[in-house]
Amino acid sequence: MSLQYLKEAAAAGDGEKLIRYVRLHFGDGSEDAGRREIDKGWIQALLPLLDVPSTDRAFILETLRTRDTATLAHLYFHLHFHFVQRSGEWIHDGDL
Amino acid sequence: MTATSEPGPMGEGRQQLRPGLWATVNERYPGSMITKRDLVPLAPLGKPLSECRLTFVSTSGVQAKGSVPFDTVHPVGDYSFRRVPSASRVDELEIHQLKYPTADAHRDLNVIFPIERLQELAAEGVIGGLTEHFFTFIGYNMDPERLERTLAEDIAAAVSDEGADIALAAPA
Repeated sequence: MSLQYLKEAAAAGDGEKLIRYVRLHFGDGSEDAGRREIDKGWIQALLPLLDVPSTDRAFILETLRTRDTATLAHLYFHLHFHFVQRSGEWIHDGDL
Repeated sequence: MTATSEPGPMGEGRQQLRPGLWATVNERYPGSMITKRDLVPLAPLGKPLSECRLTFVSTSGVQAKGSVPFDTVHPVGDYSFRRVPSASRVDELEIHQLKYPTADAHRDLNVIFPIERLQELAAEGVIGGLTEHFFTFIGYNMDPERLERTLAEDIAAAVSDEGADIALAAPA
């Protein structure tokens, strides 16, 4: 999808077009694969927390407080792909 | 992504190697297909190939190890490019590209980034030499106008600065 297509969807509040794009991005052009990849990322984010290990919450709060929204959104995509890769099941053709 | 509906000065519009690809792309990524009509005609070669300094422009995502990786996760793409020293050894390079199969390129980088072949052609005198750097970027860019306005212009300026006589351009 072109950026213009996405901007028009955003202006129209068409969330379905926007989330479809995210699914296509994570699924390399397959919406169904993208759904599974997004779910996979969340599962991988959940698993390390089940035993309630100590985490660097100060870093998290500092990052959220001091970084701009675009950087945080970019980080969100990075984290998603990071956890997808950590799953050990890599469906993508290339490399991060 | 670009396509043309009629043959142009560079042969665009001829039968695609994979004729179903464009339709599939447009179905999967609506709005990503654009049509270019203001094509730049090929420039005639002004001197023998053996006297020409060649540069290489590639969408392969190949870059020198240790340089900032291409941003393969950004949803709208990465509009930066990397300078890859043309004297690099293959083991000094790596690939950051999410959208094409890289398995064969990891076995032999030359299949996607023929740096050793170009070095050989220069050493044998088939071409006059290589620019100090080659230029790479990734093809996952959802803003064709920004791509043309910034990345393409930046690479064109860099190619010109390095005194290239000819450019080999290869999509991944």
